Amino acid sequence: MKKPFYTSVAALALLSGAAIAEDVTVFGPWLGPDQENVEAVLAGFAAASGHNVSYVGSDSFEQQIRIDAEAGSAPNVSAFPQPGLAADMAKDGFLTPLASGTGDWVRENYAAGQSWVDLGTYAGPDGSDSLYGFFYKVDVKSLVWYSPENFEDAGYEVPTTMEELKALTDQIVADGETPWCIGLGSGGATGWPATDWVEDMMLRTQSPEDYDAWVSNELKFNDPKVVAAIEEFGAFARNDDYVAGGAGAVASTDFRDSPKGMFASPPQCYMHRQASFIPAFFPEGTVVGEDADFFYFPAYEGKDLGSPVLGAGTVWAITNDSPGAHDLIEYLKSPEAHEIWMAQKGFLTPHKGVDTSKFSDPTLKKMNDILLGATTFRFDGSDLMPGGVGAGTFWTGMVDYAGGKSAQDVADEIQSSWDALK
Amino acid sequence: MDNIAGRKSALNWVVQISVFLLVALWLFPTVGLFVSSFRTADQIATSGWWKSLFPSEQNLVIRAADPDDFRIEKDGLFVVEGNLFDGSGAKVISVWGTSSRAIDAYEAGQTADLGDGETMTVQANGDYVWSGNDEQMAGRGQRVFATAETPPEFTVKNYDTVLFGTTDGAMAKAFFNTLTVTIPATVIPIIIAAFAAYALAWMDFKGRALLIATIVGLLVVPLQLALIPLLTLHGSIVELWIDILGKPELENARRFAEVNPLGELLGYQPGDGVNAKGYLGIWMAHTGFGLPLAIYLLRNYMVGLPRDIIENAKVDGATDFQIFTKIILPLSFPALASFAIFQFLWTWNDLLVAKVFLIDASGKTTVMTNQIVELLGTRGGNWEILATAAFVSIAVPLAVFFSMQRYLVRGLLAGSVK
Repeated sequence: MKKPFYTSVAALALLSGAAIAEDVTVFGPWLGPDQENVEAVLAGFAAASGHNVSYVGSDSFEQQIRIDAEAGSAPNVSAFPQPGLAADMAKDGFLTPLASGTGDWVRENYAAGQSWVDLGTYAGPDGSDSLYGFFYKVDVKSLVWYSPENFEDAGYEVPTTMEELKALTDQIVADGETPWCIGLGSGGATGWPATDWVEDMMLRTQSPEDYDAWVSNELKFNDPKVVAAIEEFGAFARNDDYVAGGAGAVASTDFRDSPKGMFASPPQCYMHRQASFIPAFFPEGTVVGEDADFFYFPAYEGKDLGSPVLGAGTVWAITNDSPGAHDLIEYLKSPEAHEIWMAQKGFLTPHKGVDTSKFSDPTLKKMNDILLGATTFRFDGSDLMPGGVGAGTFWTGMVDYAGGKSAQDVADEIQSSWDALK
Repeated sequence: MDNIAGRKSALNWVVQISVFLLVALWLFPTVGLFVSSFRTADQIATSGWWKSLFPSEQNLVIRAADPDDFRIEKDGLFVVEGNLFDGSGAKVISVWGTSSRAIDAYEAGQTADLGDGETMTVQANGDYVWSGNDEQMAGRGQRVFATAETPPEFTVKNYDTVLFGTTDGAMAKAFFNTLTVTIPATVIPIIIAAFAAYALAWMDFKGRALLIATIVGLLVVPLQLALIPLLTLHGSIVELWIDILGKPELENARRFAEVNPLGELLGYQPGDGVNAKGYLGIWMAHTGFGLPLAIYLLRNYMVGLPRDIIENAKVDGATDFQIFTKIILPLSFPALASFAIFQFLWTWNDLLVAKVFLIDASGKTTVMTNQIVELLGTRGGNWEILATAAFVSIAVPLAVFFSMQRYLVRGLLAGSVK
C-alpha cells in the first residue's frame, strides 16, 4: 500500500520542482473541527508540493464565493457543497476547466466513476461542456440512526427492508412509545431535511431514470409518482403517533436538536433518519458505534429497485487559475489525500485505491461499505435542481406539507415556481 | 391633600413602576443570554436557562465504570464499585432504573436483580455496587437511568473557547483588524461631514436647499442595493491605478505589501497582485454609507447655534475656516461625539460590509463578527458559543457607550429644539 503513495509524492515533487513555490488559497464551507481536518489535508499538500497553502471557511459560502469572484479576489481553489452553484459559476466564466486527463482518471479510479464525471461536467461561458469539478469528500444520506442499547432494552431488531421498518414503527407505537425524531428547522434553510426524505423515498418507489428525469424536470414535480413519494414521507412525518412531539412539532424542531431525543431519559424516540454528519450534534460524549449506531435506510423488498443510496459531496473547482491550483487538484487524486481525512472524522470517499483500514473508526468503514455497495447512487436532487427550487420552493413547500397542506397542492406550487424560472 | 410638596403622587408611582417593568422586560432576554453563556450545549438543549438557577430534578443517563478495567474479584463474583457522579454528593438520586423502558424501577438504596445473579445497588449519593459473574461483568459499563435532584451547574469553558479559541491568537488578530476598520471608518466620515454640515448650515450658495434635500433623500437608500456595484467600482479603480503606475512584478508587489502596510491598503496582495478588497475599500464604503446621516445630524445641530456669535465673528473679520475651527467645532462637540458613537457601534457590529469589501480568501483580514460566526461551526448549532460571543463582542461598544453617554443624550436632541 505504501508504493502508490510514494509514487504520487514523487510525481508531485517533480511537478513542484519545475514550478516556483506559490501561495495557494483555498475556500470551503468547513468551519470548526471540519476546518482542522481539511487543513490537515492541505498541510499534506503543502509538504508534498512546497506551495504555501491557506484555507478560509465560511458559513455563507454560497454568497461569499460569488462576491469574491465578482471582486476579482476569488481563491485559487474552492470546494462547492452544491454542484448546481458550481455549474452556475462555470456558465459565468468564473471557473477554469481541470487539466485534461482528469476525467479519465475519475472514471477509472472512482466507484461509479462516470456519474462523478457527469456531476462535475458543466457548460462553460461559450456553451461547450468541460470537466470543471473534482469530487472529494462524500456524505451518505440514506442512514437511520438509533441507540443499540435502547433497541436491546425493548427487544427490537434492526430492519433490513422497508416493510420491516414500517412494521417496527408500528410495533414501537403499540408499545406506547414514539418511533421517530424528525426536525426540519435550519434557520434560513428550514425544510431541507424533508427534501432528503422525499429524495430517498423517490429512489425507493421509482426507477433511477425517473429520479434523474425528476431532477431535470422532465418528470414534472406534480407528477403522481413524485406526489406519491412526498406522501411516503408524510406517512412517517404527518402521523402524530410516529413523531416525537407530534406531527405539529416536525417543522418547528431544529434538525440539530432533533436527534438528541434518542439519548434522553426516558428516550423520546428510537430512530432518526439523517446524513452521515449528524453525530456532530449528538450529546457530548456519545460514542458512535456504541452509544449510537446506524443502519441503511432500507428499500422495499416488494419493489425490485436494488439498494439505492442517496448522497452528497463537495466538488472542488479552480476559481482563480494558477499552476499551484492544478497541483492541488492533482494532489487530491492521490490516495494519501483521502487517507489523511479518513484518519480524522466524517469523511467518505468513492476512491477505489485507498486503504480502508485507515478509517479512524469502524463505523466510517461501515458507511463507506454502504456507499461502495450501492446498486444505485444518486446525488442529492435538491442540490442539483435550480437554486430557486432546490434551495427555495422545495424547502418551503416541505414545511407547508409538514404543516398540513396536501401533497398535490405543494407539488403544484413547486412545479409552477420551476416553470417561472425557465 | 395629596399633592403636598415632598409627597409623591399616585401618578408618579405608576410612572416609576412602568419604567421599572419596561427595563425588566428589556433586560430579560439579555439576562437569559448571559446565563446561557455559562452553560454547556447539552444543558441549553435540555432545559431552559431559568431552570438552571435553581436545583432541579433531572433524568440522567450515566454509565458505570468499565468492568474490564475496574472489576475486583470477591467471593467468586466480580464487583465494580464507584460513584455515578464525581463524588461531591451534590446530586441526590430519588429513583433509578437500568432499562430505558423503566427508568424509575427502583428507589435509592434498593438492589436491582438483573437476572442470573447479576445485581446492582445504587445509593442516593450515587455510590453503586454492581456484581455478577465473569461473563456478565464484561464489555461496557451498565447504563443507569437516575432521577436526581441536581444543583445549578455553570462553566466558564465557553469564554475560554471564544477568547483563546482553537487557533492561537485568531481572536486577538480579528480584534485588531476590527479596530483597523472601525477607527478610520468613524473618523473619516466625521471630518468630511463636519465640513459639509458647516457649509450647508452657514454658507450661502445657490442650490443649497436642493443639496440638503438630496442628502436627506440619500438616507433612505438601502446599502444592500449598492454593495456589488460599489465593489465592481473599487475593482476598476484598482485596475486604473495599476494602468497608471504599471503593475508591479509579483516579487515587488510582495515586498511592497510586506514592508508597507499601505501596499495592502491599495490592493497589492502578496499573492496575485490585484485585489478589489482591502482596508481602503471598506473605509470608503463605511464613509459613504455613514455620510448622509452624519451630515444631516450635524447640519441640524449647527443651524441651531446662535447666529449672533457667527455674525460677530464675521464682522470682526474671521474667515469661514476660522469660524468653523474656532467657533463651530468646539460648540458642536456633543453632536460630533454622539455621531461618533453611532458610527462606531455600527461599524463594530458590521458583518455584511466587511464580508463584501474586506474579507477574502487570504484569511488575513478577518474581523471579530466574522470570527464569531466561524466559531459556530459548519452547520452552526453552537448556541452556547453564540451567547458567549455576544457578551465578548459587546464589551468594547459598552465601554465606548458608558464613557461617552453624556454626549449621546445631548447629541440626540441635536437640532430638535430651536
